[in-house]
Order: sequence, then C-alpha cells, then structure tokens
Amino acid sequence: MPRPPEPEDLRARGRWPPPPGRRVAIVGSRRPSPYGEAVAERLAADLAATGVIVVSGLALGVDAAAHEGALAAGGCTIAVLGTGVDIVYPRANADLAARILAAGGALVSQFPDGTPPQRANFPRRNWAIAALSDVVVVVEAAEGSGALITAEAALALDREVMAVPGSVFSPLSVGCHQLLRDGAGLVQNARDVLAALGAQQEVLDDPLKPPASLGLEAPAGGRDGLLQHLSDALMTEPGTLARKLGLPLPEIMSRLTALEMAGAVGRRGAGYVRLAPGGISRAGVG
Amino acid sequence: MATSVRSVLLRGLDVLPVDVEVDIATGQPGFFMVGLAGGSVREARERVRSAVRNSALPWPPQRARMTVNLAPAEARKDSGGLDLAIAVAICLDQAGAAAPPEAAFLGELSLDGAVRHVDGVLVAARGLARRGVRRLFVPAGDAAEAALVADLEVVACRTLQEVTGHLLEGLPMPSFTGGVADVAEAVAVDDLAEVHGQAAARRALEIAAAGGHHLLMTGPPGSGKTMLARCLPGILPPLTRDEAIDLAQVGSVLGELEPGRPLSARRPFRAPHHTISMAGLVGGGSGLARPGEVSRAHHGILFLDELAEFDPGSLQALRQPLEEGRVSITRSGGSVTYPARFMLVGATNPCPCGWEGDPVKACRCTPAAVDAYQRALSGPLLDRIDLQVRVSRAPLEALSEEPTGEGSSVVRERVAAARGRQLQRQGHLNAALTRAELRRLTGIRPEARRALERWSSARGLTARGFQRAWRVARTVADLQASDEIFEAHVLEALGYRVADAAAA
Repeated sequence: MPRPPEPEDLRARGRWPPPPGRRVAIVGSRRPSPYGEAVAERLAADLAATGVIVVSGLALGVDAAAHEGALAAGGCTIAVLGTGVDIVYPRANADLAARILAAGGALVSQFPDGTPPQRANFPRRNWAIAALSDVVVVVEAAEGSGALITAEAALALDREVMAVPGSVFSPLSVGCHQLLRDGAGLVQNARDVLAALGAQQEVLDDPLKPPASLGLEAPAGGRDGLLQHLSDALMTEPGTLARKLGLPLPEIMSRLTALEMAGAVGRRGAGYVRLAPGGISRAGVG
Repeated sequence: MATSVRSVLLRGLDVLPVDVEVDIATGQPGFFMVGLAGGSVREARERVRSAVRNSALPWPPQRARMTVNLAPAEARKDSGGLDLAIAVAICLDQAGAAAPPEAAFLGELSLDGAVRHVDGVLVAARGLARRGVRRLFVPAGDAAEAALVADLEVVACRTLQEVTGHLLEGLPMPSFTGGVADVAEAVAVDDLAEVHGQAAARRALEIAAAGGHHLLMTGPPGSGKTMLARCLPGILPPLTRDEAIDLAQVGSVLGELEPGRPLSARRPFRAPHHTISMAGLVGGGSGLARPGEVSRAHHGILFLDELAEFDPGSLQALRQPLEEGRVSITRSGGSVTYPARFMLVGATNPCPCGWEGDPVKACRCTPAAVDAYQRALSGPLLDRIDLQVRVSRAPLEALSEEPTGEGSSVVRERVAAARGRQLQRQGHLNAALTRAELRRLTGIRPEARRALERWSSARGLTARGFQRAWRVARTVADLQASDEIFEAHVLEALGYRVADAAAA
C-alpha cells in the first residue's frame, strides 16, 4: 500500500506552503456527466468563498471543474500532480494550471522534476491528495475510479470522506453510492462539508432557508416541456422524447438542435442531457 | 495468304480490339505466336492444336511454318479468351476462306474443342459494338450477358466444330434469342420493421437513402448498427435497368454473374471485413487491376463495420471513389478505371472498449484513449460523410416486445418520392449537389440560412462542412415534399452532425 509523501518530499510551484486554512479535496470522474461537473464547480466555488482551500488533481472532468470553481470564487486552490511539477498533464489543462498559479495557488508533486506521466504514479498522487486535505469529497466515481483510491487513502489517513449522491441509473454513481453505504458523509451542498469541518455557523447560510440548491434550475423554454423530460445526468434519446411527448421525431430533432444552439442541452452518447444555465461552459456547446 | 480475325482484350471496363492474323507458309517448321503474348496466350498454342485436332478439323501439315500475330503488337496480351479467334483464323486460313465481316470471336477452348466461359463478355460486347462489330461469337454460357447490348447479334458457341461448320459450310447457327434477360427482382431480407427502437438512427437511414448521403453510425457493441445498415437496400428503390447493366459490367469482369441471369435489380450490399487489403477494397492485382469492393458496391452500399480498425491507407484510398464515383488504378499492365459510386455506411464503436456514452455499462477507457480513437476516424474521410448518428443499445426488455416501427416498404415509398423530386430538380441526388447548385436550386429561407450560419460559426465549420449540412437539410425538405428549406429542416439536419457537435 502506497504511503503519503513526507511534506519535505514535496516539490511545489506557486505559493508554498499554502496560506493557513482548512483544505477540502474534491475529486471524481475524468468524464463526469454535466451534473457531476456542475456539482464539483459549484461546491468548490461555495467552499472557496468561505476561505476553504480546494485541493484536487488537475485531471480532466471533476478535478478541473473543482479548480475552476475555486478560481471563479477568487479562492486559492492546490493541484497535486502525478508528474513532476515542471510538467502539466494533461496538456489541455495547461491554461488552468497557469491561472491557479496566478491566483496564488500552487502545483505540488511528490515526484522529481521531469517525471513524465506514468500509470503507476497516479494512485500514489491520490494518496498525497488525501494527505494534504482535511476532508475528501468524491463527486461521481464509477466502479474502480481513481477517486475511490483517494477515498481509501483518506480513510487510512483518518480523514473525513464524503460523497455526493447521483442518479441511481448512472454508472458514474456506483462509487459514490458505495461510499455513502459504507458511511461516508452525504454532501448536498457546501454547508454539509463545512459542518464536517466544524466551521462556525456564521459562515453558513441562514439555516431557516432551504439549503442552497445544487440542483440545477430548469432553464426556461420548451413549449411543452421538452426540457422537463431531459435529465442533467443521464442522456435521453430523441426517440424516447418523441414517444413521451407524442411528437414526430423530426420535430424533436429540430427542437433539440435549437435548444443545443441556445446552450440549454448537450449531446451525450446517443442522447441529450440538460445543461446548467450559465456555469459549465466546457460541457455546453455554442 | 494471311487471314485476320477479330477478338478483344479487356482494359478495365474498356476494351482493346485485337486482330488475330494467321499465316501458313513454308520454311522452318513450327507454330509461332508473336505480338507480346503473355503466359496464358502462349499456352493457347497447345489448347488450340488439341482443340482443332480433336474436332476432326485439318491441322496444317508437319512441315508448315505457321505464324500467329496478335495486333496491336505493343500491347501485352494475357487472356484465354483469344483461343477461339486463333483456332477460327487457322481453320479459315487453311480453307482459304475470308473472315466474316463485322464479326468478332471470344472464348477459351478446351482440349476437346468445347468453347469455354470467359470473364467480361458483357464488357467486351459493349466495347466491340461501339467499335462497329455487329456479330459476336461468344461461349454459349455467356450469351445472355452479351445479349444485353443493343444492336449486336450474339451467336452462342458450344464447340469449335459448330463454329467452323457454320463459317465454312454454311451450316445454320442461329443468333442467341434467349431474350434479353429480365431483371431479377430485388428481395430485401432485412426489414426495418424488425428493428427495435433506434428512432433517430432509422430516420438518419431514411435521410441517407433519400439523398444518397454517406452515413456513419457510432455506438456500443450489440446496438444494432449492422442490422440497421443491412436494412438500407430494402428502403432504396430497386436498380434501374441502366444501373443494373452498369453493375453487371463489374460482375462480368470478375466473372461473378449468375449464368443466364446477368441482371439483378438488387442494390449491392458489400460488407468487407476490416482486415481487407487495399487491393481488395479499391481494386488491384498484378498486370491489370481487377475491381475491388468499391466497384462491387457500385450503385449500392459499401458497409464498413469497425471503421476505425481498417488500415488507414485503405481508408485514404476511398477518397477518390467518394468524390468522383469511380476509381483509377495503375498497375504494370496499364491504368484502368472502374465505376465506384456507392453509399458509404460506416459503423464504429465510440471508444476502444465500446461503452463510452452507454447509460448502463461504464466505459473503461481513459479520456485520452477515447479522443485518440475518435480522432483516428476524423480528418479527410469523416469530412466526406454527410450524416453521423449515435446509436445506443436497446434495453433488453424492449427486445422481447414486438417492434413498433414502420416497415421498409413504407419508408421506401417516401425515399422514392424524395429521390424523384431531386432527379427532377437537378438530375442527380442531393449528396452530389455542388456549391453553385446549392445556391441556385435549393430554395433556402433566410431564417434557415441564418441558423446554418450560426451553427457553422459556433463550431468553426469549414466551407465543406457548411455545404454538407446544407445538402442534408435539402434532403430533409425533400422528404417533406417542400420546395423551400425551412429552419426546422436545417435544425433537424444539424441533429445528425455528431462531429460538429463534438467540435464545439
């Protein structure tokens, strides 16, 4: 079993050691649903707004969304790399890495400079993420996902593990639901995480108000509820929509494209998903 | 005195008329064959000698010096089909008879003098008829092929003896009247009525059939991509007689026609395995290239399952046929061109493991692997495929229910009507619309055009991609019998442009 690196083994770019404050890791699938991506981004933003430092792995998907969310809220975020700190992998996130540094965050790694991406290094990196955090939140993890290694490490290191539930139909929910079944804390919003951190109540929303919703508001549009028949986590096929709405398929197809051009829906597999209004532009189109 | 008899060699779908000249003289005895004879023609000496003797016909005396010249001398000749002409020329020369005017001979001889099948009789007959030949002697089994050509008297030959008897003694040899073979009826085996769900894919299939568009289906294993593709012939109108003859020429060169029934109205459906060689796919071989799968699929469907597994070089070689509807191949024996106007239907998994995007089974591939897999398909080939659609697995419980979709015959009627509109408007299918024709003929409404432009700029489409979407929109409109392209037609068409959506 890999062990977390000793702090003196870490190499860093950017501000290191980080400013004092609680640290929350947000990790999950590299190919999340729009739902998972929105959750990670929103959760990271809300936590960062209260001064929490968001830790993640600079991978595609949930990791990137978490870093983005923290940056959007003007927060500090730490990316723990599985390569040398002088290498940004995947390259698609080079711009994100630069913005993390510019915003006063850090890239850290337990591997020597110049270490290329190697399969075996990423599970070890996941241990480092757990070690650097007070709480690990898993957002969408399929069976066998690397995020579950982070959760395992967190347990071994006596860190709090929390998970965001997902659709029971989605393969991406399997890992999180298993964690929840095994006793992980349920995360519906940033308050759940802050409560686990033992943060003071004044930073939280008014408890009388319903919890700040992570669920996405249904965007306006769709004369007869085309959007109501679309989920934000699971794709729905055009043929299914046609059957449910009793409309001919050509009409469904053209209306889906109109919604797609408006950024309200996106394609996923053979079907369509609803996208969050604003927000997750990477999953959106147009 | 030398005697000259006409025969023919194939050059792809064109012919090279060959004059077989025979001279029997005195001198150093022997049987000499000149005129760049290849292996199978040099061997003709032995076949012809035996066939003539075994037909109880006179063979030149031992001391005679016999020269057979095959003109034109500069073209290499490698075909058993010259046997009959050589034997006839020898027999005529000995009898001192003249060759019949405007007649040509084609056929291989067996040692006992029977006339044997040769490949490419239809092609030979067409080419010779264009060059003024009015009477063609062909093997009896191939007469139906030759009879497809108008203005040509076809004589079906069973034996050499029969032919010489007719030429030298005037014995009757009626011209072939087996009737111009009628077109065998198309029987579609796979029917759309058997397909479960897949509403979007069915619709894409219908649009592809109506406009002649190439189609790519992406989906996990077992999602019915092959089944859907196999339904295509059944929703296309049967081949016209001209199309059937075009296709039969390819079959004729390959010797793959059904004897006595050369024409079929059935749209070809070719599904080569992904291990096929480039020569097998586009045509090739030594000497002169033979037609490949792309030509066998002429006027029909070329279905490439597991498109990403095909050799990239072979896929590159598809570019010429996709653009020009024909393929030119150069080999040592010369360059030949075969027709290859087909609908390309590709099927592929979305990723190496196949489950990307599946609602139930999780994909095990890294995002980079999925990207690489999909990129392998992109580029020039994908750029030429008008319609792309994602297919998903039908839930198991749906498979036990009766499918509820329309049958192929219903769809075929709509397809035929839409094709009729296109042919009337522009003389060809929408897939072949040029940029000028798009602007001039397709009646796009301003708001429809704006939608198209919005989409293209948001997705950075090339001009080619823009036209592609426009053509598909034209076909959608034609399926609705609409002269104008409305915004809804454009929007629907864009729904079958998966690659554009991914490019956003």
